[in-house]
Amino acid sequence: MRVVIKDLVKTYDEKLILDNINLDIRDRSGIAIIGASGAGKSTLLRLMSLIETPDFGSICVNDHHLDEIKEDVYYKKIGFVFQSHTLFPHLTVLRNITLILEKVHGKSEEDANQIAMKLLTKFDLAEHIDKRASQLSGGQSQRVSIVRSLALNPEVMFLDEPTSALDPVLTQEVLQTILKLRDEHMNFVIVTHEILFAKKAADYIIFMKDGKIIEMGDVSILDHPNTDELKDYLSNVFLWD
Amino acid sequence: MNKKLKNVITFILALLSYGAFIALFIYLYPGSNNFDLFRLEENFGLIYEGFKLTILISIIALFLSVIFGFILYLGINSKYQYIKHLANIYNEVIFGIPLVVFLTFMYFFIFAPFRTDLSTEITRIEPIIVGTIAISIYMAPYIKNVFEGAIKSIDENQYQAMTVFGFTTYQKYRYIILPQLVKVIIPPLIGNFSYVIKSSTLLHVILVNELYAEIKRGMLSRYAIMEGYVFMFFLYLLITIPLIRLAKWFERRYGV
Repeated sequence: MRVVIKDLVKTYDEKLILDNINLDIRDRSGIAIIGASGAGKSTLLRLMSLIETPDFGSICVNDHHLDEIKEDVYYKKIGFVFQSHTLFPHLTVLRNITLILEKVHGKSEEDANQIAMKLLTKFDLAEHIDKRASQLSGGQSQRVSIVRSLALNPEVMFLDEPTSALDPVLTQEVLQTILKLRDEHMNFVIVTHEILFAKKAADYIIFMKDGKIIEMGDVSILDHPNTDELKDYLSNVFLWD
Repeated sequence: MNKKLKNVITFILALLSYGAFIALFIYLYPGSNNFDLFRLEENFGLIYEGFKLTILISIIALFLSVIFGFILYLGINSKYQYIKHLANIYNEVIFGIPLVVFLTFMYFFIFAPFRTDLSTEITRIEPIIVGTIAISIYMAPYIKNVFEGAIKSIDENQYQAMTVFGFTTYQKYRYIILPQLVKVIIPPLIGNFSYVIKSSTLLHVILVNELYAEIKRGMLSRYAIMEGYVFMFFLYLLITIPLIRLAKWFERRYGV
């Protein structure tokens, strides 16, 4: 995937959230955005997925210039996984997936079922197809959310702290699922606090602090950080190691 | 004594106290020794017709008010400022006007040109139709509130998910929002149905022969004031209490 961002600025209520972001990432398949809370990671992700629009600057994801493309066109090309509670609670697991395939992506009922079943089986969720969100654990629910986005065969998947609402055991379960995305050759951008996971799943790291990108590059920067900020952050994360 | 039994006994005691209270006032009422429910016997047929009419009007008015209420909800949440203002003004005005004023305003003013053909004096629109429409319009802001509360009960993340999945507005409502609303919305709708039934008593001011009007007619023509009120209380409570119970049962059953 290719992501090019130029002079990006975003404010909320006159508070500067993203302060002049520039990057040019090519031929990478997994980008992890890390940093402390309030660094602007999620905002950057939401701008890249056009859930929000910038005050200034431009974003280009693959061939799509986000200030030119229509939202509904772009949304059909991407997947987005939120922190929590995004399965539609009145629908079964299977229907959560097939509804979007049928109604938004124009697939036939048969095709939709086939696509959904194939993925749910592959991701060990086949036994849950008739359950509703309230009958799933938080981890299962997030895994279904991920499969749901994957079923749409997006160019890029955006994951916004998909494990932040989960306990450590469930977190591992979801992270395993995301690792599988890599096996599926799915491009993804993830905001995460799970540094070890980022190291394993991603091939590019962006470290942010106070609305700025402090350091970015190969996953090796996690072992050999160049800036004091990243060093500090990592030493805080791994305080107990 | 166990808790349940105690509860039943105190409930019966409370009912008896009210009974005694009413008996006292029947005793005090001039000519109370003539208390006879069958004095209204000859009006039973008409009262039954009134009862049916009240139910019919209320069902239709509730149905229409759900439609109007939903349109009002969409209007207030419209992205077009002009439509938003139209909807908000309507909302404020209706909330500020007593029902009886609104009913008579609709019947004697708004519908006047359509009501009777002035040259022939032939009635073209029955008061029952004007009344039903008026109650529906009057209820719309209340139903809008019901929708508002119910829609808020859907998690914010779901709206974002719908958007990012590329649902159109129609699809959002058709497949995601409305199916979830049905469950949440039924108890308050039943509550509003009971409110519509109570409001329909006011239709007598525009000469609709609903339950209140029919009993009142019987009371006056048969000199059966006490008996008439006993009937009124009994018949209205016969409708509204089961409704309120039903709403509560529904809330418990579906954990709304």
